[in-house]
Amino acid sequence: MGDRIETEPAKPIRRSRRERVAGATSAPAAPVVQAGDGGMAGVFRDAAAVRPGFFTLSDHKLDILRRKSIALLAEHGFTINHDGAVAQLVAAGARADGTRVRFPSELVEAALRETPRQATLYAKSDDPGLTLALPRADNTFHVRTGTGAHGFIDAESGAYRKLDRDDARTLARLADGLAEIGFIAHPFVNDVPTATADIHGLATVMTNAVKHAWIQPYSADNIGDLMHIAAAAAGGEAALRARPVASCIATSFTPLEIKQMDTEAIIQCARFGLPIHACSLPTAGGTAPVTVPGAVLMAAAEIVAMVTMAHVLGPGTPVIATPLMFTLDMRSGRSLQSSIEAIQAAAIAIQLMKRGFGLMTHTYGFGSDTPNADAQSQAERTLLGSTVALSGADILGGAGQLECATALSPLQLVIDNELAGMVRQSLHTPEVSDAALGWDDLLKVEPGGHFLAEAHTLAHCRDHFAPEAFARLGRDAYEESGRRDMMANARDICRQVLSRDPPPGLPDDDTRAEIAAIVAAADRRAAG
Amino acid sequence: MTPDNLDDRLDAIYDAVLSYEGEITAQLVAAEIDAGTDIQVVLKDALIAAMDEVGDLFGEGQLFVPEMLMAAKTMKAGLEVLRPHLTDSGTKPIGTVVMGTVEQDLHDIGKNLVGMMLEGGGFKVVDLGVDVKPADFVAAAAEHGADVVGLSALLTTTVPNMKKTVEAFRAADYGGRIMVGGAPVTREFAHSIGADGFAGDAPGAVDLARRFVRND
Repeated sequence: MGDRIETEPAKPIRRSRRERVAGATSAPAAPVVQAGDGGMAGVFRDAAAVRPGFFTLSDHKLDILRRKSIALLAEHGFTINHDGAVAQLVAAGARADGTRVRFPSELVEAALRETPRQATLYAKSDDPGLTLALPRADNTFHVRTGTGAHGFIDAESGAYRKLDRDDARTLARLADGLAEIGFIAHPFVNDVPTATADIHGLATVMTNAVKHAWIQPYSADNIGDLMHIAAAAAGGEAALRARPVASCIATSFTPLEIKQMDTEAIIQCARFGLPIHACSLPTAGGTAPVTVPGAVLMAAAEIVAMVTMAHVLGPGTPVIATPLMFTLDMRSGRSLQSSIEAIQAAAIAIQLMKRGFGLMTHTYGFGSDTPNADAQSQAERTLLGSTVALSGADILGGAGQLECATALSPLQLVIDNELAGMVRQSLHTPEVSDAALGWDDLLKVEPGGHFLAEAHTLAHCRDHFAPEAFARLGRDAYEESGRRDMMANARDICRQVLSRDPPPGLPDDDTRAEIAAIVAAADRRAAG
Repeated sequence: MTPDNLDDRLDAIYDAVLSYEGEITAQLVAAEIDAGTDIQVVLKDALIAAMDEVGDLFGEGQLFVPEMLMAAKTMKAGLEVLRPHLTDSGTKPIGTVVMGTVEQDLHDIGKNLVGMMLEGGGFKVVDLGVDVKPADFVAAAAEHGADVVGLSALLTTTVPNMKKTVEAFRAADYGGRIMVGGAPVTREFAHSIGADGFAGDAPGAVDLARRFVRND
């Protein structure tokens, strides 16, 4: 029997008797579509239950992949373009032949044993609801917005444009106000010098959102500035180390290589106390074998290499295994994020990293290969999100992203917020007790009877997930509404969230000035 | 402590209905009767006003079906205290509605909900139950002087019996109005079978019945 989780149901906002009698029947202040948390925590949840899931591969096959990935690092090795890192790895027992570093299995296993299995991603606000524990306390997942996209789909017009700082600001504020979104990545902003786009992007997220930020460096030269922006936002380097308000991606350069920039990212994350998302992005048939297990093996080997590097270069730094799986469309040569093979590969990769290596896990839980937030987008991301959630992912990334992670859409972000809530609800294991079963009502129901008027139904009628964007109108109401659909509701939610006052915890004027100074100095340096 | 001000006491009845406090509602209504308050005022400005608010909150998505049912039951608790005095005072219901689920259909949850909301809205409701033959509908409407007849169906296969029932009413020269509802029923279908109106939910049925009685 698990713990019962009680929450207060939302109270209706109603008119008073006097208002009614005086003739007031129009809706009170709250609009029909409300941007709220969209769902219920749910009573009768068995908090002690194992997270529901499915397993694509047997333990035996996962073990083969585990052993093969470690063997690949021992036999083939990993190319590391960073002299200092190579030297430290050699000192720790690795064998180097120039930049080709071979990892003995003992070193890898030691790294896997000692890499922290937990991390906390902090927000700039004191609100404990915004602190992200990994793994999550309720054994589900956190959600991250899409990163690095350079395109933007306007919420009102649907038009596509190159993403600029205003758009980044919009996305940050929107993500900050959507309850299921846990942390926010900076997109690629186009209206700034290309060389400092990452610095501008992070600065925009840091000054417009209180939630945890995800850093993606675009060049080694910028890593220091990115860390300093995070430190400024946290209140100093010591504060950042104590409560990391940002975490950072380090990406392998598939196949089996890591650039100097990403090695430096690992080193600086360790220095500043930021958790690392060790990311591999293999493309099956392109940078990795064409088969699903071959691509998974590539991702596993690269991630484990980065885990080992972090263990040597920054012992004790939390590392989150982040396989982002793609396939190459063999007809066109385009990369696909949401082909069924990419989805299966993500599922297996997550299962392998979690069960095989015992690591915290992160992958795309949202995204599609279509340019717009259309029916295909919803189908692809639902397949993807459900599959990887059931595979055990601790973080579902890519909320709001389209066109193979190259464009971001506010409306899609709102819908992904809702999908996340539904998928999360689907992972909650229900309690099976007499109270949960409605046993007493079952015993007394008469033929032709119903449960609608029972106290049990009344008490729990709000336990069901209550969507705000998804439309549930019958045909007549749908026509009368002017064919109002999910996208129209999402647009309303977007407008409501963006019209709210900023939350507490945003950087004050001094901090903003400090961040602006870092950005300006970076621009001057880049301009030479 | 009982407020001196009538408005405050009526507010308390209204709030009790919206808080699903049946016993308190009944007690407060009884207290108003003892105090000699105009029965019509208690009925219209407290009980029916509360149910109108329930209907609007449901339509806005703020209240869910079980909550609407509970509010209707709570209002009924107050109405039962009021009922003997309504007759004595000559207060008439807003109108009489005869309702039922059509022949060969046994589903009645929606119909029951509509019935409770109609009572809450001040109507006298005669519920014929389920699997009601057209002739029985016609007879009951005549017997009770129905201003409005409500037909409910849940199955696509029984919906044609709505048409038969409407035809039976037309053949009998029924002078009242016929409204239809149920999951497979649409406005277009209602129009095609000659019904006077269609309601998509319980509060909608109350609004429609009121319009019919007012001859809107």
